[in-house]
Amino acid sequence: MTTTKTTTTSDTPLAIEPIDREWGVGISGLTENPSPFPRINKMLQRNKNTDTTADAARALIITECFEKYAMHPRHTLWALALREVLERVPINIWPDELIVGELAAPPNSAPIYPEFSIDWLCDELVNLPLDSRRNDRYVIDEKTKNDILSIQGKWKGKTLSEATLATYTEEEKKGSHLGAAVLLEDLYIYAGIGHVTANYEKLFKIGFGGIRREIEERSSMLDIAHPDGLKKHQFYDAELIMLDGVSAYIARYGRLAAEMANAEPDATRRAELLRVSGNCLHVAEGAPRDFWEAIQLWHIATNMIIIETNGHSVSYGRFDKLFYPYYKNDIATSALTREFMQELIEHSFIKIHELRKIRDKNAIVFSSGTIMGGTALDVGGVDEDGNDITNDLSYMVLDAHAHTRIPNPWMGVRLHKNTPLEFKTKVFNVIRIGTGEPKIFNDEPMIQSLTNYGRNLSDARNYIGVGCVEPSVPGKTYGWHDSGSVNLTKIMQLSINGGKCIGCSASCKQYAACVGAGQTLGPDTGSLQSFHSFDEVMESYDKQMKYWCDALITLINKNDLTHQRLKPLPYLSLIIEGCIEKGIDISAGGATYNGSGPQAVGIGTTADALSVIKKLVFDDKTVTGAELLEALSADWEGHEPLYALVNSDRMHHYGNDDDYADDIARFVMATYCKHIEHRPTAHGGEFTPGVYSVTNNVMHGSVVTATPDGRKSGEPVSDCIGPAHTSCCSHDRRGPTAVAKSVAKLDHARIGNGIILNWKFAPSAVSGESGRDSLIGLMDTYFEDNGMQSQFSIIGRETMLAAQQNPEKYKDLVVRIAGYSAYFVELSPELQSDLIGRTELSFD
Amino acid sequence: MLFKNNEPAGLISNIQKYTIHDGPGIRTEIFFKGCNMRCLWCSNPETIDPSPQLGIYPAKCLSLAKCGYCVKICPLVGHSPLVHDKDGTISSIRQSAECKNCLKCADVCPGRAIKLWGELMALSELMAIIEEDRSFYERTGGGVTLSGGEVMLQWEFAAILLAKCKEASINTCVETALNCPAAHMEAVYEHTDLVITDIKHMDAKKHLQITGAGNELILKNIKRTVDLGKNLVIRTPVVIGHNADDTSIRAIGKFIRDELSGRIIQYQLLPYRKMGTEKYDSLCLQYPMSDYVPPEREIWEPEIKRLAAMLESEYGLPAVAGSGQKLPT
Repeated sequence: MTTTKTTTTSDTPLAIEPIDREWGVGISGLTENPSPFPRINKMLQRNKNTDTTADAARALIITECFEKYAMHPRHTLWALALREVLERVPINIWPDELIVGELAAPPNSAPIYPEFSIDWLCDELVNLPLDSRRNDRYVIDEKTKNDILSIQGKWKGKTLSEATLATYTEEEKKGSHLGAAVLLEDLYIYAGIGHVTANYEKLFKIGFGGIRREIEERSSMLDIAHPDGLKKHQFYDAELIMLDGVSAYIARYGRLAAEMANAEPDATRRAELLRVSGNCLHVAEGAPRDFWEAIQLWHIATNMIIIETNGHSVSYGRFDKLFYPYYKNDIATSALTREFMQELIEHSFIKIHELRKIRDKNAIVFSSGTIMGGTALDVGGVDEDGNDITNDLSYMVLDAHAHTRIPNPWMGVRLHKNTPLEFKTKVFNVIRIGTGEPKIFNDEPMIQSLTNYGRNLSDARNYIGVGCVEPSVPGKTYGWHDSGSVNLTKIMQLSINGGKCIGCSASCKQYAACVGAGQTLGPDTGSLQSFHSFDEVMESYDKQMKYWCDALITLINKNDLTHQRLKPLPYLSLIIEGCIEKGIDISAGGATYNGSGPQAVGIGTTADALSVIKKLVFDDKTVTGAELLEALSADWEGHEPLYALVNSDRMHHYGNDDDYADDIARFVMATYCKHIEHRPTAHGGEFTPGVYSVTNNVMHGSVVTATPDGRKSGEPVSDCIGPAHTSCCSHDRRGPTAVAKSVAKLDHARIGNGIILNWKFAPSAVSGESGRDSLIGLMDTYFEDNGMQSQFSIIGRETMLAAQQNPEKYKDLVVRIAGYSAYFVELSPELQSDLIGRTELSFD
Repeated sequence: MLFKNNEPAGLISNIQKYTIHDGPGIRTEIFFKGCNMRCLWCSNPETIDPSPQLGIYPAKCLSLAKCGYCVKICPLVGHSPLVHDKDGTISSIRQSAECKNCLKCADVCPGRAIKLWGELMALSELMAIIEEDRSFYERTGGGVTLSGGEVMLQWEFAAILLAKCKEASINTCVETALNCPAAHMEAVYEHTDLVITDIKHMDAKKHLQITGAGNELILKNIKRTVDLGKNLVIRTPVVIGHNADDTSIRAIGKFIRDELSGRIIQYQLLPYRKMGTEKYDSLCLQYPMSDYVPPEREIWEPEIKRLAAMLESEYGLPAVAGSGQKLPT
């Protein structure tokens, strides 16, 4: 493990860390007992030693209720069903816990959501046991397995996924996730939407009791003799049913804690349990009175969103802004110490880390190790008036990550031109640990991207990066972020080959529906055989892109309409602004702000491919379009010199601060945005384009044959907004300043659903004071240039190779992937290789 | 001085952006080709020869059967100095009196298996590249560092280039061994904000042995540099078997304290880590220290730190381990 001891020694962690504390470079989680608090280290250990499993309790109660309440309006049905789950599901308080609450399932255990889809799970339980998976492994006992299998039949024909797919035409299936996967629109067909942040400010101010009073008041003013009044009245009645369940659930934990306190021999623990009991009994209805009560309510209120929605990327808001009033008051009154609040923050991180979501066998190949997924928590940035909000808690949250080194929550730091240098020093010292946390956002373009889609300025300034990076106004938005993704590279291929895949053959599962039926996959917009100029190539690409963006939007809206019809969300409607005011469920457009955010994938690869076509076929006339197509059909076999040439520095590649290629990247991005942005979504609001792949670049690449940029068939396309690399070489050759400048040339204000820029540095390139300050300077300059986001992998390539060889020794190696960080040894081999292959910037 | 398109020009082997350890802030480093020393541990052998050179990377060769562009373009038909092995992969370039160094083979090689080291670059070409990262210099107090090879062998061009940078308000730094006439050095210094140089050994005979040059001129130039009031950083590459002992390092410390009155910004002890092996291979050169097995980081890191602490306490010098600590302003 030579690279694990790169620079600074890591001394004993402190409850209150100095601002400029260094923890070392590229050491990641490979350290014993990272926390100064024995309780935290113990909990971390316990978490590591607990198998991941699934729990059938929620599924059984939901199935029973779905029959029992079938006669009710859907919204009421789900309120009644969720109330029963909250009233009946077994609950536990675990040793040493100061914050309680689960996911209707114990820690490290995933609840099951049969109302969305269940066949895939039953199929895997029977045919491909989930404990035999190489990664994302679930150890499920016989009873749970049988319980899940026992309800499968009751959901036949009633699930949300079946209802959605029933609306697809054969033509639409061709390019969808069921076909050639030009589009991936399936994320919310088999599971829920998530990607929200509760209105914690309001909840903290008035508590669930306050929300109840508000609903009762609004309900009492309705004229139920009018059908509009009646509809709202029914909605409010269901919301009140929901509130009964919510308060009952929290109070159950309060009573359990009191019972456990009575039986507890240890006086210290007894006092803790009594306090936990008091906290729960109070926040079941009331507004929190101190930091501890607030963090308790924050945690359990968020868990209930997940219990209800089956969504991931349920986000935790701006921690430092949200909790500062409690922190300040508790310090002033000496109610709680700073050290104890630090311990509570670290404790809450472990609670978030214990959440689980089960994904199917296909999802875990390309999107492995996500655990729950999207547990975003941000610190720093400006307030509604544009003033810096950095406070003690901003620092404490970063220390809490250094003290836990787990890939949850998914941390984001908002930076702006008045962020204190001391805070940046703290941020980059944590980044240099190498876990990939936190990512950083640039306030200015993030705020611009929100105001461009109708958010008012003060709301936009209060944004958080939901899930991975999606700009969202917390507490007010139902953004359907990550509603789909578009394979730009595949579309580029169709646009240069008459609407057909290059290498089209009868072995493709879509062949019969496609070419066999006398058609093509996409419209015939032209071919390299006949284009006379690069303008014609761009025109064809534009037309092809419009066709697929129209198709994507149609499919997402079909999905959206099905959610509205079958799966209203009475709990989430309580805690997102707008729903109670309007008397409309969140799924039907109740939230103040709505949207839908699909991603473009492969911008770097696509730009390089078009750049090669422009230079070789039209500028230099080195090859004809037909010759290039032939080389691609042959997957470059027999065309080795051309393959080497297109991968070489003689071409113009995106990411080198070279306008020739960067202008084409601008065109590629603008073409995508043009066909997505501002179009209406089925639940209200506008479509917001995003430019990131998370790990979908591997999936999308797997269905695209050779491309002119020098990719071979099946290789990943470029990740997120970054430059391409092929199995031959990386296409960015001029170092980080050139990458930063190329990326900043793209028009970020149009990207309403966010971007990701992955950086991979060798530990030696960021070590020492000058390494740290240069990295800060690099990011400051990139942000000054309007760059939007960055995240960092600072693990040596050799460390990752060693971890592949010796997974046992590297169990705690946390690495940055795309939208998230995860345990390296838990990743699929495909993803491990993609990470190792990304350009490592090293300056020895 | 060299010219290109009637413009002053330099023979440059490489340009590295975002260098962060050779001077303050984020810098663009320009490596001049040609050197008048032969340090046994040199990790940039491509910068030694003062003319363009071909490097060979067999792993990137597509083979004669699949490509063969290099042989086809070579004017020496039938007796090309390009040597390919049995399976048609390029393996070396034969010394040949007939070869006019036309470099066409490098020009056509699609995979850059034949790489050209050394390009004549005009002043305006270099300035355009330097200007690209101006915003990064301004943010971090960075700028340009000229390195090599030996910058002073192209001193006239270096002085012009640095003057141009200063005219454009770009911070300048020169990394040089100072094995050159004082007049050349002083011409370059006129436009130089920071000088980085080495003391590899205080013993002249030993210095000659390990670098191919004596140290008398170098030490004299270092003294002159301090007398001129230049900002100076002195480095010692610490090489086991040559100067990694307390006596050698103390002698350097004593010189800095007594002869330079300690008037330097920083003294850096750099661990020798044996890099550049693949470059020697590509140039078909023998690495003089090919048998050297570098110690593990766990061994050398504390040792370098100990030597730095020793100089700091015994001689009162601003001695540090490595080049990662910020320069005092």
